[in-house]
Amino acid sequence: MKTRRRRTSRKTTGLLPISFLLLVLLPLLLMPLGAIYIFAARGGLGHFIRTFSQSDAQFALRFSLLIAFATSLVNGVLGTFAAYVLAKYRFPGREALSVVVNLPVAIPTVVVGTSLLLLWGPLGLLGQFLDPMGVQPMFAPFGVFLAHLFVTFPYMLGAVKPVLDELEATYEEAAYTIGASRWQAFRFVILPTLRGGLFSGTLLTFAHSLGEFGATVMVSGNLRLRTQTAPLYIFAQFEAGNIETANAVAAVLATLSFALFFVLLRFTQRRSQRVA
Amino acid sequence: MNQPAFFGLMSWRLLFERLSFLTIVAGLALYALWPWIPGARAIPTRTLVVYGFSILGEVMSEGIFPAFQSEWEMRRGESLQFISSFAGSGTVTNQMILGVPAEVGVLSLELDALRLVKAGVLRGPTWRQLPYAGVLNRTPFIILVRPGNPKGIHGFSDLARPGIGVVHPDPLTSGGANWAIVAEYGAASRHSPDPAQAGYQLLLGIWRNVVAQAASARAARTQFENGFGDALITYEQEAIRDLARGRLRAEIVYPRSTIFSEHTLVVVDKNIAIEQRELVEAFVAFLWSDPAQSIFVKFGYRSMNETLNESNLLFGHIQDPFLIRDFGDWPQAKREIVDAIWKNRVLQEIGQ
Repeated sequence: MKTRRRRTSRKTTGLLPISFLLLVLLPLLLMPLGAIYIFAARGGLGHFIRTFSQSDAQFALRFSLLIAFATSLVNGVLGTFAAYVLAKYRFPGREALSVVVNLPVAIPTVVVGTSLLLLWGPLGLLGQFLDPMGVQPMFAPFGVFLAHLFVTFPYMLGAVKPVLDELEATYEEAAYTIGASRWQAFRFVILPTLRGGLFSGTLLTFAHSLGEFGATVMVSGNLRLRTQTAPLYIFAQFEAGNIETANAVAAVLATLSFALFFVLLRFTQRRSQRVA
Repeated sequence: MNQPAFFGLMSWRLLFERLSFLTIVAGLALYALWPWIPGARAIPTRTLVVYGFSILGEVMSEGIFPAFQSEWEMRRGESLQFISSFAGSGTVTNQMILGVPAEVGVLSLELDALRLVKAGVLRGPTWRQLPYAGVLNRTPFIILVRPGNPKGIHGFSDLARPGIGVVHPDPLTSGGANWAIVAEYGAASRHSPDPAQAGYQLLLGIWRNVVAQAASARAARTQFENGFGDALITYEQEAIRDLARGRLRAEIVYPRSTIFSEHTLVVVDKNIAIEQRELVEAFVAFLWSDPAQSIFVKFGYRSMNETLNESNLLFGHIQDPFLIRDFGDWPQAKREIVDAIWKNRVLQEIGQ
């Protein structure tokens, strides 16, 4: 009932602003998105199948998905923990730390890549000691994973921390008064309220990891069948002039992102309805 | 936590949505993990890591790798997987200096191999002990123009005419770009009484007309294909194979005088484990064998073994070919032509 009332109260007659918005968005957003599919389809279904019968295309897509799953999982836990600590505890340097953990959003991803290389690479600050031991995180799948953890770290934090900040301490305190341990209070009082934030944070992390390019291109060495992610594959194929091949993979990635954000949108809509 | 309010009318839909979401996620995870699930697929027993400069991508992936894989499997009964990466020669060299695990690298020019020695990646000019001093194959530099040659381009000097748009790879990252600069310089200076001045004049004229610079020869060709410029200076190989296959709509102009690029193979000993030694050596030996060289010829490269080149009828005739050793060697050409003339004079002049 509530939703219906809200909907009718909205203006339905704004034909001019709506068409103006569409006109502006057409060349900016809608046409480039359409071009992905047009060029992917230009080679026909046969080309699509041929692209995905190549082991390097398959690998790139699988590798991207694996990294995205792993990144969402680790950053899901790590980001929630960071948000919890930053929201619940008062300690010197907390403000500074809050700024620093959000920095990866603002730093160009290429710079993230180079700094990881300069740290962990065979000639890097720490890497030069690891190299003689035969440990080499860069130019290997693990290096790509590290880069994605770094780049996507703030998304989980950003989704979870605001919820924790607003959560009244009284619930948690009430739990303690009836003898709950710190873990029990977290598990049964805090975690349930975080579900929405966890869900959207994980989806955002997944989507960003799936599309990450700048840092990956630096730390991966761009090795087919070993460290080449789907975006790197697209870039390499496009540079080599195989536009249909590049766009076939691009179309799959774009469709996945559409689906992810569609789920995310529906979810946040339903939550806002529920709150209302 | 508001769950109870939702039970009733919405619950079936909600359940359905949740289930389908979970199914999709599980499906994606299964797809991603598939090759690593035990028993799902045989995992290759051996790997070999090869880095190459941009235009080598096709001949290696479609010709050389499959040929050696079947030969190795016949000889040893082991399946072999190539891990490879192709980019501009300078980019590949920089990656190798930063420590990518390349076991074999094919660079566009010996200059990049010498940079690897300087950086300590190679312990010396080890490629010179390989056949033909490490030169795997070669190809002359040509001019690619639009179909029908509407601008009437017949040689490097025409590229300096006003109103011609030239697509050129970037000498910072592309080996082909360095070859192209020496080709342009040599074409003008070889028969001139004042070589340095003639070379400078032509380079200045051409570079005034450069409308797009790409990181590699292959990327430059993609720019040209996408409609940039009237002419592209590139390897003959880049043009003839795809023209013959109908993949490229353009025309080749053979300059009267041009350079033959020579592509250097390096074996990165420090990245080769003891158990990999034999495999790498077999692969390197295979590359200079007649079957492998014939594959290169089929893909448009000229073999160092001249008799093999007769099998490709698409190779054009160059009246006055020259080589890098006509300018001393690469370090000297880099110093005297690329740096002293192109970088310090031509670029400065254009920048003003």
